[in-house]
Amino acid sequence: MASERAKVPVINISYSRFRKFLPGVSVEKILEILPYAGLDIEGADGDMIRLEYNPNRPDFSSDYGIIRALRGIMGIETGLPKFKLGRTNLSVVVDSQTRTTRPYIVALVAKGGTLDNNTIKQLIAMQEDLHDGIGRRRKKASIGLHNLDSIRFPVTYSAADPNFSFIPLGESSPTTIRQVLEETATGRQFSRILGHVDRYPVIVDKSGSLLSLPPIINGDETKVDEKTRNLFVEVTATGRKVADDVLAIIAVTLRDAGFDVSSVDIRNGGKTFKSPEMGTTSISVDVTYVNSVLGLHLDARQITSCLKKSRLGALAKGSRIICEIPRYRTDISHPIDIAEEVAIGFGIYNLEPTLPASSSAGTRSAESKYINAIREVLAGLGMLESLNFSLTSFDTEYGLFDRSTLDPLGVEGPKSAEHEFLRDSLIPSLLQSLSRNVHEEYPQKLFEIGKVFHGGSAIRENWAIAAVTAHENASYTEIKAYMQALLNSCFGMSCNTASASSPFFIPGRSASILVDGGVVGSIGEIMPLALEKLKMRVPVSAFEIDLGTLLHLPQ
Amino acid sequence: MSSSGGALHPIERALLKALSSSPISSIESLSRNTGLDIDQVRRGVEWLKFKRLVSVNESISAQISLSDSAVKSVESGLPERRLVRAIQEGMTTVDEIVTAGILPKEETNAAVAAAKRNGWIQFGEGGKMTIAKAEESPEERLLKKLRASALDLSTLAEDEKTAYGILAKRPDYVQRKEIKDVRVSLTEAGKSASLSVETDHQDRKLTPAMITSGSWKNVKLSSLDVEAPAPSMFPGRRHPLVDIIEEIKEIFVGLGFEEIAGPIVQSGFWNFDALYIPQDHSAREMQDTFYIKGRTQDILASEKQKAKVAQAHKKGWGSVWNIDEAKRAVLRTHTTPVTLKHLASTNAESGRFFSVGRVFRNEKPSYKHLVEFHQVEGVASAKGLSLRDLIGLQKEFYARMGIKKIKFWPTFFPYTEPSLQSMVYNENLQKWVELFGMGIFRPEVTSQLGIRNPVLAWGGGIERIAMLRYGLDDVRELFSSKLSWLRSVPKCQL
Repeated sequence: MASERAKVPVINISYSRFRKFLPGVSVEKILEILPYAGLDIEGADGDMIRLEYNPNRPDFSSDYGIIRALRGIMGIETGLPKFKLGRTNLSVVVDSQTRTTRPYIVALVAKGGTLDNNTIKQLIAMQEDLHDGIGRRRKKASIGLHNLDSIRFPVTYSAADPNFSFIPLGESSPTTIRQVLEETATGRQFSRILGHVDRYPVIVDKSGSLLSLPPIINGDETKVDEKTRNLFVEVTATGRKVADDVLAIIAVTLRDAGFDVSSVDIRNGGKTFKSPEMGTTSISVDVTYVNSVLGLHLDARQITSCLKKSRLGALAKGSRIICEIPRYRTDISHPIDIAEEVAIGFGIYNLEPTLPASSSAGTRSAESKYINAIREVLAGLGMLESLNFSLTSFDTEYGLFDRSTLDPLGVEGPKSAEHEFLRDSLIPSLLQSLSRNVHEEYPQKLFEIGKVFHGGSAIRENWAIAAVTAHENASYTEIKAYMQALLNSCFGMSCNTASASSPFFIPGRSASILVDGGVVGSIGEIMPLALEKLKMRVPVSAFEIDLGTLLHLPQ
Repeated sequence: MSSSGGALHPIERALLKALSSSPISSIESLSRNTGLDIDQVRRGVEWLKFKRLVSVNESISAQISLSDSAVKSVESGLPERRLVRAIQEGMTTVDEIVTAGILPKEETNAAVAAAKRNGWIQFGEGGKMTIAKAEESPEERLLKKLRASALDLSTLAEDEKTAYGILAKRPDYVQRKEIKDVRVSLTEAGKSASLSVETDHQDRKLTPAMITSGSWKNVKLSSLDVEAPAPSMFPGRRHPLVDIIEEIKEIFVGLGFEEIAGPIVQSGFWNFDALYIPQDHSAREMQDTFYIKGRTQDILASEKQKAKVAQAHKKGWGSVWNIDEAKRAVLRTHTTPVTLKHLASTNAESGRFFSVGRVFRNEKPSYKHLVEFHQVEGVASAKGLSLRDLIGLQKEFYARMGIKKIKFWPTFFPYTEPSLQSMVYNENLQKWVELFGMGIFRPEVTSQLGIRNPVLAWGGGIERIAMLRYGLDDVRELFSSKLSWLRSVPKCQL
């Protein structure tokens, strides 16, 4: 249930921006409220504060998005954010040749804004986060920001052959698509997304200048800097919805940054549609539903007030609330999402806990009871419990003894050779534990209860128990006494040991453990070669029992 | 203190014997004569003092010795001696002596003054020096004595004391140390006690024969040095991490939860798809997840369940659900597949379940992250359960773990909505740290498995709690099996 460990996106925002847009709110109050808006404070550096946000709120990828949310929570500006979409008659023509690779393109025009240092920084950071998050590292969607004034319309989205020549962003001389893909770092990194194709998607304007080679790089001619006043933003994607999702976030951000956002026409085959798609969605929820999810008794007026604080539109209609969801809120699709927004607007810190009664008593599993009994008996025999990893290195688990011909279960792409193969026995890791304690007082007696894994036609995982004794007089007889005591005290079982060879044990000092005629484990004195490899100086005896077999536990 | 009553301890007996042959002794000589170590002698002397069998006198004496730097100059001779030797060899003026390197210029005045005081030299015409006599000075005699051994100041003769005074004025020649001198002597009672020590027989051991024969009535058992250390013993025990896991499990049971378990190896279906995690989510990539090489795992879900999951993915994520992706065998990245599958299969209208088990993340291990760690997860399903109930259960759970300073912040998981994280205040780091994640399972998750009531769920890693409890800085220590740690961690954290 813990958080997915995928990289959490981070945004930098300055205190001065907070002061500007949240007038009269103290820094302490802001820092207190931020976590309740779903933002974790990661650290601060002078005027800048670093916030972690969740990947379901890509609108938090710029400080405009955060400000928009906080102004709502603090009651400074509530309800749907104002957004007016203008109209241009500029068009983007989609050539059928792009259909196989990134078939979808959407775009917008944003005029009359100022691109100061902070705004550029925020836009670039937002673009990167959108690329990595919703864009799935540019695979699903990628964004191009261009200087509108250097573009001759209509813009065409088509495909070009590898020899197509253009000047990439930041360069001064022309190069070909092939060179960019093969010789530049960005090219190599993202060319996989395009796959092996003959022709590459390109966005060019009427005069043939390249705006972008998505998802790799933009052209230099349409580059954006502090002097740019008007922007053209395009998003290419593998799906229409994701393209619109990304563009919607950019649209509201540019509007908050002072631009007037207007639509363009996208012409594809015979069809034309206006882009960006900024229509709101309507979701209606029951007052009773919201209250049952949260455990509250709010009336319709209170609920609409909470929703407006979350920057949603809300209208009470009898026992229902009609919510209007702005296009950029890609995380809201179901009434349950509305319930959460009510909780955020209400303030999680305001939720008083209630303790529900249980209709039944709790119980421990049978497996747990057996395992605890084993622990108690072995501890009573003076043994210390050791815990080791199931995922280990080949050498540790299979290289210590003559077991290297086994074909153990392994994992793909491990980040370290220490965690590559699943263990099929507990004995090697117990010996490793002993080898780390050669300077500690003897005798040393350890045991472990853990799962071991076997391949075969189906993967089998079983509970096993193993124990080792190490001291100058460690012997087969001693470990057998422990093993018998364990089976007898724990389960009232008696056992036999019959000679059997094992790669772990000295020939002639090795046996299998039988209960009711069935083999449940093995026992013996550890091979001196292994002890030498581990740089140990005392003999070791061991046993291992398969609990699944012993207790007929379900797989 | 040794035992009350008359019986003397073997240490006391040994000391009394030694003192009877040398009535006033130092601690060191008693140790030498009895073979006991200094600590045992000191203890024994205290007991005897308490019994008024000895008396102890402490005096402070001053001890003088040669300093290290003086030893060298003593060998080559005091400056005034070197001056005299030079004159004996024909040099007559101070300048000559300095030029010849016999004495550095800054020592000449002191040397001449000392030589004059000793009556060794005379000044003639033109300031030339001649020898009057050259016998050993008291300072030289004293230095010779000191070279052999350090001396107690009080044992010096008058002229030696004067010589010492003169030497002490010169920098770095002699040093003085205060020595505490402890003298133990027998009192009158002690003298008579020491006499009977020889004749008095005591037994060390109570034997079975003495008990059964009744002869124990006639036997005097010696007192024991009850203060002496006993050997260390190392009891067997559960692993300290397991202690915490057990504590957590018992709290769950106390809240009415039933323990369940499930396999570590899961299909992608139960680990991700059934949890409404889209198939192109970055967490599913090899970067974060361990896929078992070349292996698939039976999905073990009904056709209906599979169809519903496929539909939910299409509707919610707009992606076509690929069954091959769902069949890949993974090492579970969380214990949620176990609890969810159990919920789906029990068809109970309500229930509370929990499980604790190992989960795996394909990461680089560090002092705070493990590749393989223990996760606990609890789910509660019943009609009308709400977010406030979730917070309430949490607070109760933490209170029973002794954690009172707790907050809840909103967060996001793909399969719960609303989602919260619990934050606990870490006094050492002076900040709030995340403990568990929790939420209400999304309807897309529960309905596709045929579950109708709301399902509350929470859980997280246990190692972090163990680190806090045991004061560890590096999570890897929990799996190091270091005996120095395992043998020393107390069972109870008071």
